[in-house]
Amino acid sequence: MKEILLGNTAIALGAVTAGVRVAAGYPGTPSTEVLEGVAKYNTDGKISVEWSANEKAALEVAAGASWSGVRAIVTMKQVGLNVASDPLMSLGVIGTKGGMVIVVADDPGPISSQTEQDTRHFGKFANIPVLDPSSPEEAYEMTKYAFELSEKLHLPIILRPTTKVCHSSGTIEVDTEVYQYESEGFVKDPKWVIFPPLSYRRHLEIEQQQKEISVLFSRLPFNRIEGNGSIGIATGGATYAIVKDIVETFKLDVTILKSGAVFPPPDQLYGEFLHRVEKVLVLEELDPVIEEQLYHVMAVRKIERPIRGKLDGFVTPAGELRFENTLDYIEKFIGRKLKSIENKPVIDLPQRSPVLCAGCPHRASFYAVKKAMRGKKSVFCGDIGCYTLGNGKPLEMTDTCLCMGAGITVAQGIKKAEPDANVFAFIGDSTFFASGMTGLANAVYNGTNIIVVVLDNSTTAMTGHQPHPGIGRTIMNTSSPKIDICSVAKALGAGFVKKVNPFEFDEAVKTVREASEKNGVSVIIFEAPCVALVKSHGICTVEECTGCKKCIREIGCPALTVRARKVEINPALCYGCGLCTNICDRIIRL
Amino acid sequence: MDILITGVGGQGIILASKILAYAYVIEGRNARTGETIGMSQRGGCVVSHVRAGNAHSPYIPVGGADLLLSFELCEGARRIPYLKKDGFAIVNTAMIIPVSTALGKSDYDVEKITKYISENTNAIFIDADRIAQECGSFRAVNTVLIGAACGLGVLELSTDSIIQSMKKNIRAQYLDLNINAFHSGMKATEEMREKCKIM
Repeated sequence: MKEILLGNTAIALGAVTAGVRVAAGYPGTPSTEVLEGVAKYNTDGKISVEWSANEKAALEVAAGASWSGVRAIVTMKQVGLNVASDPLMSLGVIGTKGGMVIVVADDPGPISSQTEQDTRHFGKFANIPVLDPSSPEEAYEMTKYAFELSEKLHLPIILRPTTKVCHSSGTIEVDTEVYQYESEGFVKDPKWVIFPPLSYRRHLEIEQQQKEISVLFSRLPFNRIEGNGSIGIATGGATYAIVKDIVETFKLDVTILKSGAVFPPPDQLYGEFLHRVEKVLVLEELDPVIEEQLYHVMAVRKIERPIRGKLDGFVTPAGELRFENTLDYIEKFIGRKLKSIENKPVIDLPQRSPVLCAGCPHRASFYAVKKAMRGKKSVFCGDIGCYTLGNGKPLEMTDTCLCMGAGITVAQGIKKAEPDANVFAFIGDSTFFASGMTGLANAVYNGTNIIVVVLDNSTTAMTGHQPHPGIGRTIMNTSSPKIDICSVAKALGAGFVKKVNPFEFDEAVKTVREASEKNGVSVIIFEAPCVALVKSHGICTVEECTGCKKCIREIGCPALTVRARKVEINPALCYGCGLCTNICDRIIRL
Repeated sequence: MDILITGVGGQGIILASKILAYAYVIEGRNARTGETIGMSQRGGCVVSHVRAGNAHSPYIPVGGADLLLSFELCEGARRIPYLKKDGFAIVNTAMIIPVSTALGKSDYDVEKITKYISENTNAIFIDADRIAQECGSFRAVNTVLIGAACGLGVLELSTDSIIQSMKKNIRAQYLDLNINAFHSGMKATEEMREKCKIM
């Protein structure tokens, strides 16, 4: 049966077809739909699927399952692997039993990430094989193969799709049979306990094994040489598809090296490719990984070919490769123009930056803090989530953002350097559970007086509304104990802890003032659900607007628009949250 | 066949691309889609590429689209350079005013934008939001626009395949409304069909 599947869904279906029994992950664009896909295909409930509290927890859950002999998958985005890097490095040494696949989605651009980091380096760092799919179709095949490979090598396998694979769909002939196997359960063995002597012994074995895997990868169909020309193009991942389109469209006589199983590098195949061509252009997104591998092969095998790529500045080191710039590089490399695109003129158009939705409770929370702190020296540390958008005009309530959970701890550093400032840390509910609690403990323990504002909208909104430990519900829609953030904050020793609905605006402002005057660590929980989860509260309307536009200047809600110099409220967008009624008496909620 | 679908987060663009892509699969062709979503749930731009045939990459090159299906006026204008020289644009006249315009930082000039689209491509403008409303929900704007494209005869797809694909991709309780919206969109452009061939 042929299906149109999103790359991420194809990976999920590949895992389910391969008989995965345990699946864990933490949401993060562009990886989120993988775990959601496993949950969707888990119709008989035989797979244990969980959103873990963070990526480190997810990877360890999957490792335990694998050591017990079942197939396991763990999913995250590239920055999530930083959080999970501690278990990853040790797992590369100890190894696995049941097939284990670590899906890590990279985000060239970056389109929705903090960094443009390249997970292929983590493969080399941790001695873990990396598969790099070029399309949803290949992602499906690679996922199934990755479980077999993992069991053959007793190592976890990293599957590294990028945004263009995760969020594109392809036509896939899906399997109907699910791989069946029996597991013997966890068998006690000293090999599951990492001690220095074991680590030393395994290190020797793993280095030897890397050489064997390289030989295997040189014969794997995911790695191949196509074409016969004397001009070589080495590529991998989503860029391979673009190169292929260009080569077919313009009927170029080139030799393509496609690197799909990219670590350990298929040295033999690389050597063969280098012998067949006179010069090489390397086209890959993120870091010059294939390029450096080719240089290594040239050095070891004493082959000399001129290579153009990122290392000599021929190809941009940052951002995506798309059809247009890839074509430019190929034209420049072969020294002739292939296409004359008749460029249509462009005009100035209004910018459309992402904003907090109309009715978003974060807008009310930010505005309450802004109003309470007006005229007082304050610093606002942000974190990762929808509320990072609080940095935009006109709210301008995010002064720093580093990584998940860092708002609380960065705030402590700022407070130490600037003791007279009111230092706030904003953090979402899901982020609080993922990596906020340690920072809060740190503030209490070290007596750093900051105000932590938990923006609790009862979901992981930015990535598409996943549940988390504070919701009382799991990814499989079963109920679970609900961890109360208020109680956690109190248990961690915060002095002032209060929960307020930010739309009870006067109370919210009062609470912020109160918290800022207290000594010790204060925690405010602004609790109101994400608008995507609730029905509208009604609608607001403006009566006899004077045209001062103070409402727009203060809160910048997308439902507030201007027509003929007067403010109007767009009924299709308004949620009737009523925040704007606190700014202007002429706005009323119906 | 390369179709670029554009608009603003929340307008149902991803579903529209699924319906079209699967309709091509029903007709025995390979299809792929490519979405640029990112932070679009928060009112940002959304672009979806639908490619039927043997393309390897999910994204349509600039100057390569046969059809532009635009859910919002200025988003349509933004993607005009993606169209082929003889490509078509079907543009919903509905406007979603960005916050930058409300704050007075950028100008949403309807006349200028409409003129730009008309001068640079073969364009059909339709009030798809109104048609969707009349069919029962503004959310059906995506199926109205698919109907409009089908009515123009530019999709290389039969009506049956599209309806079959809608049955697979739309939840049962909304299906009738959407099939109705699809037919209304089709009706809106069928009359323009002859005119287009002349253009």
